[in-house]
Amino acid sequence: MTTIRRFCCNDLLRFASVNLDHLTETFNMSFYMTYLARWPDYFHVAEGPGNHIMGYIMGKVEGQGESWHGHVTAVTVSSEYRRQKLAKKLMHLLEDISDKIDKAYFVDLFVRASNMPAMKMYEKLGYVIYRRVLRYYSGEEDGLDMRKALSRDVDKKSIIPLKRPITPDELEYD
Amino acid sequence: MATKFGVAGGIPERRVRPIWDAVDSRQYKPALKLASSLLVKYPSSPYALALKALILERMGKPDEALRVCLEAKEFLYSDNSLHIDELTLSTLQIVFQRLDHLDHASSCYEHACAKHPNNLEIMIGLFNCYVRECSFVKQQQIAIKMYKHFSEERFLLWAVCSIELQVVCNSSGHKLLQLAEALLKKHMASHSLHEPDALVMYISILEQQEKYDAALEVLSGNLGSLIGIEEDKLRIQGRLLARACNYAAAAEIFQRVLESCPDDWQTFLHYLACLLEEDVNWSKTNSSHQSCLPCVDDIKACKATHLTKDEFDSRISNALSFVQKLQMDCCNDCVRGPHLAQIEIERRHRLHGIEHDGKFMESLLNYFYRFGHLSCFTSDVEMFLRLLTDDEKDQLLDNMRTLESTSASPIKALGHAMTVFKVQESFGFMFILSLRELEGTARKMLEMFCKDLKLSRDLDPQENMHGEDLLSMASNILVLLFWRTRKLGYLLEAIMVLEYGLNIRRYVWQYKILLLHLYSYLGALPLAYEWYSTLDVKNILLETVSHHILPQMISSPLWQENGDLLKDYLKFMDDHLREAADLTCVAYRHRNYSKVIEFVQFKDRLENSNQLLMARLDVSILQLKQKADSLQEVECIFENLNYGSRFLEMSNEDKLKSLTFNEDLQARPWWSPTSSVNLLSGCFEEGSACLRESLKGGDEEYIVKKVIERKSILPRLVYLSIQSGSISLKENDRNGSLSDASAVGELKCLLERYARNIGLSFDDAISVILAISRGQKSFKEFGSDFISWINFAVFVNAWNLCCRGVKLLNEDKCGMSSWRIVDNLVKSCVAEQLMHAEPILASPGDKLSILVQLVTEPISWHILVIQSRIRWMLPSGRRKKRSGMTDHLSSPDMQAVCGSVLCLIDAIQHIERWVADQMNRSEDQDLDILLSHVHRGDAEGGPGCVLQSLEQNACADDVGDRILGALQSWSCATVCRKIVGAQRKMLSHLLRICQSKLKLLRSMQ
Repeated sequence: MTTIRRFCCNDLLRFASVNLDHLTETFNMSFYMTYLARWPDYFHVAEGPGNHIMGYIMGKVEGQGESWHGHVTAVTVSSEYRRQKLAKKLMHLLEDISDKIDKAYFVDLFVRASNMPAMKMYEKLGYVIYRRVLRYYSGEEDGLDMRKALSRDVDKKSIIPLKRPITPDELEYD
Repeated sequence: MATKFGVAGGIPERRVRPIWDAVDSRQYKPALKLASSLLVKYPSSPYALALKALILERMGKPDEALRVCLEAKEFLYSDNSLHIDELTLSTLQIVFQRLDHLDHASSCYEHACAKHPNNLEIMIGLFNCYVRECSFVKQQQIAIKMYKHFSEERFLLWAVCSIELQVVCNSSGHKLLQLAEALLKKHMASHSLHEPDALVMYISILEQQEKYDAALEVLSGNLGSLIGIEEDKLRIQGRLLARACNYAAAAEIFQRVLESCPDDWQTFLHYLACLLEEDVNWSKTNSSHQSCLPCVDDIKACKATHLTKDEFDSRISNALSFVQKLQMDCCNDCVRGPHLAQIEIERRHRLHGIEHDGKFMESLLNYFYRFGHLSCFTSDVEMFLRLLTDDEKDQLLDNMRTLESTSASPIKALGHAMTVFKVQESFGFMFILSLRELEGTARKMLEMFCKDLKLSRDLDPQENMHGEDLLSMASNILVLLFWRTRKLGYLLEAIMVLEYGLNIRRYVWQYKILLLHLYSYLGALPLAYEWYSTLDVKNILLETVSHHILPQMISSPLWQENGDLLKDYLKFMDDHLREAADLTCVAYRHRNYSKVIEFVQFKDRLENSNQLLMARLDVSILQLKQKADSLQEVECIFENLNYGSRFLEMSNEDKLKSLTFNEDLQARPWWSPTSSVNLLSGCFEEGSACLRESLKGGDEEYIVKKVIERKSILPRLVYLSIQSGSISLKENDRNGSLSDASAVGELKCLLERYARNIGLSFDDAISVILAISRGQKSFKEFGSDFISWINFAVFVNAWNLCCRGVKLLNEDKCGMSSWRIVDNLVKSCVAEQLMHAEPILASPGDKLSILVQLVTEPISWHILVIQSRIRWMLPSGRRKKRSGMTDHLSSPDMQAVCGSVLCLIDAIQHIERWVADQMNRSEDQDLDILLSHVHRGDAEGGPGCVLQSLEQNACADDVGDRILGALQSWSCATVCRKIVGAQRKMLSHLLRICQSKLKLLRSMQ
């Protein structure tokens, strides 16, 4: 049983068991709070009974014209609550908001090129590798930009993979 | 920033751009040069000055920066012909904010607003200034002004937020809410509302005034469509209906939410509460501001229903059939909600004293059957397990075991088996098993872990392995075995099991946290610190996670590391608190009004963090400890600390009352549920169980507040004590703010507070230290906090020295000088500590940290008192009559001082010898000793056998190369060697401290 609701500041004090996981980054406060202040609909937390935090998703919506899109900045599930499709549920929520409320064309996300388990999961959820971003992570590891088209992109133009990799300074958004 | 300007303050862009470019690329020196030459051309331009100030601030020259900023402000005010632009103002604002002078920034904007009354940009700037200053009333006024001028919805909402903040934070009267409502109503009548969060605010304003029907009406009208997610709207509707006591309608609404979100546990609880017409504390769930949840699982609430038995029966059976329908509809085997809901319904039956043919148990078993393999099973049902009788517990476990063996896939079977262990653990069964049974259980867990390693062979090294929890559980049992038998081997085994796990996969943070506590307890703090460092605790986790390591570090000799930890934490908090209001401005700008309220409350919560206050105290006390060998340096430190008074102000009664506790204690080991509790240092009592729940949050908060109070008094006590040396002997009035009489009075006052803090009145506390120092009472009378008591004695001595004529502890009355009291206490404390002192290698506990505290706290403060006394009696380089000096040298006072010096030398030498003895052994000898503890086990059991079974079983060859490699590289001896090294590091630090104190004391002889 999972209550999914908007993430709020107090959750920052309760998500240690999720964030101590080595693959989950703990950002600085202004990062979280900027997301909360600007895109509260894109920041949701899943809670189990006993008010245990199971996981959360944070993201945003940005871009212009046909590149108006939802972006998944982080999605993470505590080890205790894995293997029950919670990430999928959270991703669907964000996709739904991008699609129905903000009428975005696609949703995208970045993943470490070495993070096979995550990549596989995103592929299962319908994401394709759109392009490779060279040395995206701290100037060391490549990132993969994965995308999923939403209903507004009828011809699925937004997800036609790019042929060549790009460098981080070619990215349209931070 | 560089893109923001056009022509600023009359300066052409081409002249300013290079400066900004230099600032942006952190080339401050060239930037300053450019700014200075700009100032030659525009000497009275506030913007040019603001730029220079900004650069100076970045260069770390706050005083100069402030001076230049104020000069700029001066020009703004004095030059009437000057056009004031937003860029100048915002640049000044940035610098003033970084210099903690928000008020200056606000007055610049106020001045500009008066001069250019209709300039929207400047008005917004001023509004933001007030947001940063938390001046809610002024915020409201300027927002209303903007609203009147520009009639924009957002400005009205800014005003409404400012009003709500006054209500929420300053508990201002509800009249303000009426005002907000009226403003909104008027606006809505002519313009309607267009922003979703504006609607949320309006509803919240109505709800706070208990105008639920009005709120419902708005929500169900056209405006309701502003809330984009239908379920969100329904949840608000349900809440409003419930608060209006329209339970039937509320239940219906919640039912609709559940139909589309069957897994929403929170909504299910609301649904059930409404169905049964229970009184839920909705104020906690009120609005979207905070995440606080209603206490629906409160037994009292369940019993408080006023329904008749028939009503209750019929409603609960409705709930049951609804939930069963949900179960049928969800073929998805990940939706646990409706199944857990059934248990909750049966629990209500039970709470109402209705026997339901074992249905409660049946529903639990059903849940196990479906979800028992998930690692969250136990925490899901935790609250239900507590209701079972002992017989039922046995029965449940039996049934679970039967079901367990029928699992089809090996991964599920492993999950089931782990769940059975976890449930057993949560029942507290481990505390009643025999030693053999415990060993057997631990061994079984490890065998299972080894056997199922192969299930993880194809997993990515980043992924959690199957069965990881088994190692933590086995380790927990081994700690329990140690507690019960006091055999060190078990404790070492508990460590080895976790190290073994980390050797296979180094990312398991749960192991790391358990390990760091075990290492701390074993006196191998450097290893604890090392593991802690690998957790990469940063940003907000510093607030919630650092309790795992900070308390141990504070009483350790690892000053450098401790200082780093405190500095990092304080930097994080200070940085955040400085920028938090800027983020509130962002929320205003983006029209997320409910976040505005949330941010302000959150900032308040962090500002009042108990850890923050504690860290501010600790960082200064640490400084004092580090410099305690030099009276001059200590005095310099005090100059920056307002002579200790600042801490007294910082921790006044109001502050203590509003302290917040943000630590996440969930991951702590069972034997230390909070920082102030360590069950291992006491004796094992059968059945005591002492589980996490038995420790009330209130106790811990009380203890922490006491500690904070004590620490906040301490610096001032130390300061006054080192002044006491001169106070009593001086014949003439002293220069300076502190008069002798008030110093003595204050010292007495603080001593009274200190005594109260450690649990007695001043007079009783004096009697206790007297009796103990005379040997009439045992040292044990002090309890565990004897360091505070010896501190007390040290400060009492200092006070006694300076109250001429009114001495409480004069020799006639007590037969003993206050110097002797301190001497005797130090002597007996050292004797007590070293009497049965085994080397720390073999005797875990806090002996080492007590000795460190003794030397670095009371002894250090006492040496400072001695130093200040001697300095006054033997002023070097000052004119003084020779005869006067001789008088002092032969005075009883001087003899007492000399006696104290000798006593301290003797005490520290004892400690030094104890430490040196341990360091004289070779590391290999130490290693052999440790290894002998873990290699004692035989077929009959005993310490060592559990680890042995782990090492023997794990040699399976179908685990894949990566795991196999890890298994082969495992070495118990390597871990033992690291422990030995870490303990020695601690000892050598203590040794160094002792040696430096001895050197100082000998120089005084």
